[in-house]
Amino acid sequence: MVFIIGKRFLGKLPVRYALKKEIFGISKHEVEKICSKLFLYPKMRMHQLTEQNIMAITKELNDLEIENAKKTQIRDNIAFKKNIGSYAGMRHVLGLPVHGQRTKNNAKTAKKLNRLNRKL
Amino acid sequence: MKVALPLFKRSVWKGPYIVPLPIGNALKTGNPIRTNARSCTIIPQFVGVKFQVHNGKEYVPISITQEMVGFKLGEFVPTRKKFKYNLTKN
Repeated sequence: MVFIIGKRFLGKLPVRYALKKEIFGISKHEVEKICSKLFLYPKMRMHQLTEQNIMAITKELNDLEIENAKKTQIRDNIAFKKNIGSYAGMRHVLGLPVHGQRTKNNAKTAKKLNRLNRKL
Repeated sequence: MKVALPLFKRSVWKGPYIVPLPIGNALKTGNPIRTNARSCTIIPQFVGVKFQVHNGKEYVPISITQEMVGFKLGEFVPTRKKFKYNLTKN
């Protein structure tokens, strides 16, 4: 068990996979960039990380917008589109698809997720 | 909003899609521009100009603010009414 930014990671998982899976709002390219910067080889597992490695990863993650910062960013973008009165913002408020999909039937994902204060 | 996002939509060498509109006159006189060009991109020169954009039936008035730059004119004028059920009286 390894702890990074208050999240716990299983020791047996590969580092690149675990970081991408557990942390909200981080892309595989960003993970790749961090890992190659710190000389972590591709098949390295979480339990093989040293104390210094964990400190270095934490420092790198602090610069990125992840977790709650990313969620507020997404919600702000929706609210911005609504406030200027654009079509995309209106569709979010109505809970309907934004990109011109049909609504006679289906549109299940949009009806479930699209709203002003989106659940993430 | 992401600054680089408009770059993914269209080739850079083409620039934004713009329809020739009498912006200079409208800024001087303050009269609204009546147009059917819903797909015209809003560029920074449009800010403060009043438009009347066609929605398929009539010309709807909008005034352009700083935040609307980068969107299209038609995005602020919806073409469909929301369905509303009316009880018949008899």
